[in-house]
Amino acid sequence: MAALFSGAPPQGGPGYSFKQTPTMAPSGERQHGFYPYTDNGGSTLGISGADFTIMAGDTRSTSGYNINTRYAPKLFKIGGEGPDNKGARIVLSVVGFAADGDALKERLDTIVKMYKYQHGKPMSVSACAQRLSHVLYNKRFFPYYVHAILGGIDEDGKGALYSYDPVGSYEREQCRAAGAAASLIMPFLDNQVNFKNQYEPGSGTGHDLQAKVAQPLPRDTVESIVRDAFTSAVERHIEVGDGLQMMIITPNGVEETFTPLKRD
Amino acid sequence: MNHLPQAWGRPRDDVYGAYDNSHFQTNGPTTHTQSPIVTGTSVVAAKFKDGVVIAADNLASYGSLARFTDVKRLRKFNSLSVVGFGGDVSDMQYLDRLLNSLDIRENYSSTDPENALNAKNLHTYLAKVMYKRRSDFNPLWNHLLIAGLDGEGKPFLASADLLGTTFSSPTLATGFGAHLAQPIMRRVIPDEAAVAGVSKEDAIKLVKESMKVLFYRDARSMDQYSIAVITKEGVELKENEKLENQSWEFAERIRGYGTQVN
Amino acid sequence: MFIARSEYDRGINTFSPEGRLFQVEYSLEAIKLGSTAIGVATGEGVILGVEKRVTSTLLETSSVEKIVEIDSHIGCAMSGLQADARSMVEHARVESQNHAFNYAEPLRVESCTQAICDLALRFGEGAEGEESIMSRPFGVALLIAGYDEDGPSLYHAEPSGTFYRYDAKAIGSGSEGAQAELQNEFHKSLTLAEAEVLVLKTLKQVMEEKLDSKNVQLASVTKAKGFKIYTDAEMEGVVGRLPTN
Repeated sequence: MAALFSGAPPQGGPGYSFKQTPTMAPSGERQHGFYPYTDNGGSTLGISGADFTIMAGDTRSTSGYNINTRYAPKLFKIGGEGPDNKGARIVLSVVGFAADGDALKERLDTIVKMYKYQHGKPMSVSACAQRLSHVLYNKRFFPYYVHAILGGIDEDGKGALYSYDPVGSYEREQCRAAGAAASLIMPFLDNQVNFKNQYEPGSGTGHDLQAKVAQPLPRDTVESIVRDAFTSAVERHIEVGDGLQMMIITPNGVEETFTPLKRD
Repeated sequence: MNHLPQAWGRPRDDVYGAYDNSHFQTNGPTTHTQSPIVTGTSVVAAKFKDGVVIAADNLASYGSLARFTDVKRLRKFNSLSVVGFGGDVSDMQYLDRLLNSLDIRENYSSTDPENALNAKNLHTYLAKVMYKRRSDFNPLWNHLLIAGLDGEGKPFLASADLLGTTFSSPTLATGFGAHLAQPIMRRVIPDEAAVAGVSKEDAIKLVKESMKVLFYRDARSMDQYSIAVITKEGVELKENEKLENQSWEFAERIRGYGTQVN
Repeated sequence: MFIARSEYDRGINTFSPEGRLFQVEYSLEAIKLGSTAIGVATGEGVILGVEKRVTSTLLETSSVEKIVEIDSHIGCAMSGLQADARSMVEHARVESQNHAFNYAEPLRVESCTQAICDLALRFGEGAEGEESIMSRPFGVALLIAGYDEDGPSLYHAEPSGTFYRYDAKAIGSGSEGAQAELQNEFHKSLTLAEAEVLVLKTLKQVMEEKLDSKNVQLASVTKAKGFKIYTDAEMEGVVGRLPTN
């Protein structure tokens, strides 16, 4: 997607120099001069704990090498009451094409609010997760170009996290990074959250090595993992930076925090 | 968006080759805008403590031809909001008509200025129009800045483009301005907190300075421009301003521009 | 009186000057002609019971279907024009399956009842934007029994589109007598087995025929088994437990 905004003239069109001028009339039908997608950069991640889920995303929005704004949230409360989503217990993060992300957020939000009117109870995260999958899948021939992550508390009071591809495939996970710096953050999360490639010290050598078993992490540990993930991503990815927005979902509600990141 | 003006479409034969007449055919598939034709360049805008300043020059280019030199690209919607248009001029005129009919409809339902559509409402509306049209593969080839006051009377500035992408920032610029004007304006107003320390005069000076830089460097710009200031007192729109005190003296000191050989 | 009435009987969705919709009121009358159906909700589950009205000894009683499944956790009993109930049940089944598909959870009993009642006023000319699907109101009432996260529940849905939740409810030709009996006999600590007997006992009182295991049908909705229609053997078992008098 990023190749779109290289700053180069469109393919088949005029070049930088008049010398490259095409001298023939274009033959046949011209089609697809308009490409309906762009990539607005940025990264998101979510980690679920025993009784909480943390969602996070940077607040930079980009077009190619330009920074559109330093504050464009990628985390949205879903459901609850009114335009401020009072009392919401579900958070959606979207990264990719921001216009699709906003459209998706608004659709899911109305679905969840309508559900409460129709069924007299707030929608569970698992129900919301299934519905979001269908919303994405129903537009598979003209997809919402976003990587969505849905977080909340499940019906047993445990942290719940679902991640999606643009056409609705989804899976419940312990942690997931998405967006521009996903390839930088995800391996770090594998190692720090699911203890991948970590072994019990002194458990042997070679095949005797005992893998360190992952267990739900305490909240302060998760929060510092999130901060480390983003401060590191900012160093290595130009589309990530400016600010870190976090939403911590507990059975008591959603806490929102904002911390500055490097703006370079 | 591609900020290079050539890429904005110019069916001039020496640039594009022979003219493609295919769109004169009455039969055949329905066609949508695949590229802009007559275009306006940058729009720049900055918030200050009591409102927003927005400016755009009065030029409409036909490729590299400076075709129309008195095209007003700032449109006052009401006493709370102004829209600045970059990109295709015909699509701008369509949006202008759309906003007229919206205004008429709004005035039928209520003439109370308390309930008038504010800049935030207008931005939401225009963003939905833009997103709908891109989703129909029939885009309005514009990049819009919507400046004014929100529902709480606070300064509001946001953007919407041909893809339906939206964002808001204390300073914004479209087209070439995104490259040239934004860095200048961000030095003065780096974040939302800084807005409170910017006076109306500071903001006007900043925007005029940006317009001047754009006139120096953007080949598709001109020195006649429009500038609007939106505050609680209403919209102060001037449509025939002229950039003043340009000087290329600085070029002397830049290698490659002056008389120096190496 | 007939002449005065008929003016407001033409437009099927037209109010009379007294503010009545005659066709809807007539449809409620149609239910009073139907066979009796009874529902009783207990803490363990809900029991539905209907009389089958075996009009001929040559009738194959198993072909009389007045209790049907909507989903594995919801069922309903009907009284009135059975054919009308088919389209309502079909709608409810689709709604229930759609909900499970979209939300990966069972549809609530109240939502299911609401979905059925949403159909009820789709008769007549049809309002703007919404196509009407029927020329007249439904001629059937339903007792909807189900088990959801709030436990067992029983709803009564009418052709007028209104619905209420009941602990125990009787509809159909014998409903007045049956409802009075339920009023006396129902209490909150009823067990499922007691409810089975209560339903049959009440049916027995209002039926013209002599009750046996062939001319009544029972069904239950419980947490463990969901919706189940009683087999012939189970029916014989419950009928055998009835007090003999």
